[in-house]
Amino acid sequence: MADEPVEDLEDLYENAPCGYLSLRPNGTIAKSNATLSAWIGFTPQELAGKRFLDLLNIAGRIFYETHFAPLLRMQGFFNEVALDLVTSSGARFPVLANALVRRDAEGRLLFIRVTLFKAAERRQYERRLVAAKEAAQSTLSEEREVSKLREQFIAVLGHDLRNPLASILGVAEMLLRKSQTDQTRTYLELLVGSAHRMSSLIDNVLDLARGRLGGGIGLNIESEVQLAEMLLQVVQELRASTDHTIDAELSLTHGVRCDPVRLGQLTSNLLGNALTHGASDKPVQLHASSKDGVLEISVTNSGKPIPAAAMERLFEPFFRGEVRRSQQGLGLGLFIASEIAKAHDGTLKVESSEDATKFTFQMPLS
Amino acid sequence: MSAIDRNNVHVSGTGPKAMVFAHGFGCDQNMWRLVAPSFEPDWRVVLFDHVGAGGSDLGAYEPVKYASLSGYADDVVEIGRDLGLKDAVFVGHSVSAMIGALASLKAPDMFESLVMVGPSPRYIDDGDYVGGFSEAQIEELLESLADNHMGWSAAMAPAIMGNPDRPELGQELANSFCRTDPDIAKAFARVTFKSDNRRDLEKVTARTLVLQCSDDIIAGHEVGEYVHSHIAGSQLVLLQATGHCPNLSAPDEVTSAIRAFA
Repeated sequence: MADEPVEDLEDLYENAPCGYLSLRPNGTIAKSNATLSAWIGFTPQELAGKRFLDLLNIAGRIFYETHFAPLLRMQGFFNEVALDLVTSSGARFPVLANALVRRDAEGRLLFIRVTLFKAAERRQYERRLVAAKEAAQSTLSEEREVSKLREQFIAVLGHDLRNPLASILGVAEMLLRKSQTDQTRTYLELLVGSAHRMSSLIDNVLDLARGRLGGGIGLNIESEVQLAEMLLQVVQELRASTDHTIDAELSLTHGVRCDPVRLGQLTSNLLGNALTHGASDKPVQLHASSKDGVLEISVTNSGKPIPAAAMERLFEPFFRGEVRRSQQGLGLGLFIASEIAKAHDGTLKVESSEDATKFTFQMPLS
Repeated sequence: MSAIDRNNVHVSGTGPKAMVFAHGFGCDQNMWRLVAPSFEPDWRVVLFDHVGAGGSDLGAYEPVKYASLSGYADDVVEIGRDLGLKDAVFVGHSVSAMIGALASLKAPDMFESLVMVGPSPRYIDDGDYVGGFSEAQIEELLESLADNHMGWSAAMAPAIMGNPDRPELGQELANSFCRTDPDIAKAFARVTFKSDNRRDLEKVTARTLVLQCSDDIIAGHEVGEYVHSHIAGSQLVLLQATGHCPNLSAPDEVTSAIRAFA
């Protein structure tokens, strides 16, 4: 076996893959290695008269004196400090510095030992990261501003649409109470159904805007609500606007502590969703029950199952599944329904298979 | 929140009069750890952190209030009021020397004496005035602040603050002294290095001692002389200590100079 090379410590010091500096207590350079000289273009003799601070750019000097000199005094070391050395030709040479204080047996400061690592590419990378972060932050705050304005606009618009719609609905309902020909009655019922549908769309939009503007979904909680009445009214309104069959099976034996209007809205949104996406030749089923301390409202439809990719985003605002353009809504129904569920400390879950798609709302009765 | 909590005020020692120690840019009250204790036998010693530094309440930071040194001086006055300070001595390091001067103007009875350690009323050169730095150099400093891990390691600070009963956690982390919130530090740097309080110097009526270090690149000799010559009746003491932080590098010399004056 050939002679194994022996590591030469003197050579290791001089030609280490990092720069070495030993500073006297007053900050002047006592010793430095060849690597550092090669990096910054000063001979060891030239360096010997200088202070460490003289090797730094002005910004680095200030930072060193205000941050790292105190740290060295207090904790005896610093690590990973980014500094720019200035070379003999005036160029910047970015480094990362570690430093450690060396004391004698009596605790007197002998040297401050500084190790320098070349860090030009790292510095560039970090600066780009910082710049990217700043750019992202300013884009984000602009976007937030714009989105807030948009939501304020939606809120105002929704509010302004409500009043004329209420007049249309009022007049149509008044006409329905008078004697009409069968044909006019059919037209009026269509009109009322559409107006109800539009009204619930506007409600959803307003709820979204309110939620986004910090108000959240507001509840008017009542105790001992007989929910069946509200749910049947919702079913009736929807029946007026569709050819689908809606089967309702309600076994609500307990009064419920809830916001009846909101739960009506939740049910209406779930039914509306089922009517849009379900197979038109199969009935949509509404079940509601109150037992074992739980109120459960579920809506089931047949038809194609919800694609797996869509399942995750189903309850996000403005999410719309694949339906015919004419049937597209705003994509708010399920989002609002899930918000209403949350506001009642309840849950809204979905199961979907080839057989059926079922949305189930549950909330505690107490 | 009271000024006492907001500024992490610590009071120790006993004596007829109080001595308030204020840290400068880049550190916190730890800066005085080698000086303040020696005054405890005969002085009421007050230490605090400026908002944004050390154990101060970061939530109390208001960009508008702290956009000038006057906002920091208001905090000093509030602390003084809460502690009932009268005829106290204010020892301010670096930028806090000017903050102390402003506080003494706002509440003339609170501080009878000012000790300014490495003061500068303006860091940027202006005509005949030598502050030591050009505008461009200060801009470069402000831009380069983000390079340092002082900012990166901010996320680690809660690990220390959240475990006061386990100081060894803090010891494992490098550079755990003088933590400052990076965003606030950046703003404080801007306020500090762009400040111009030359006009305030002549208004100062408190007895004033200027401690000038040898070879201080932050506040050079001319600057110390300028402060001395613009505060009527002030004393100037030139320290042997080199650098900008004699309170850490030469605590005995600083302590003697303060004792001889106060």
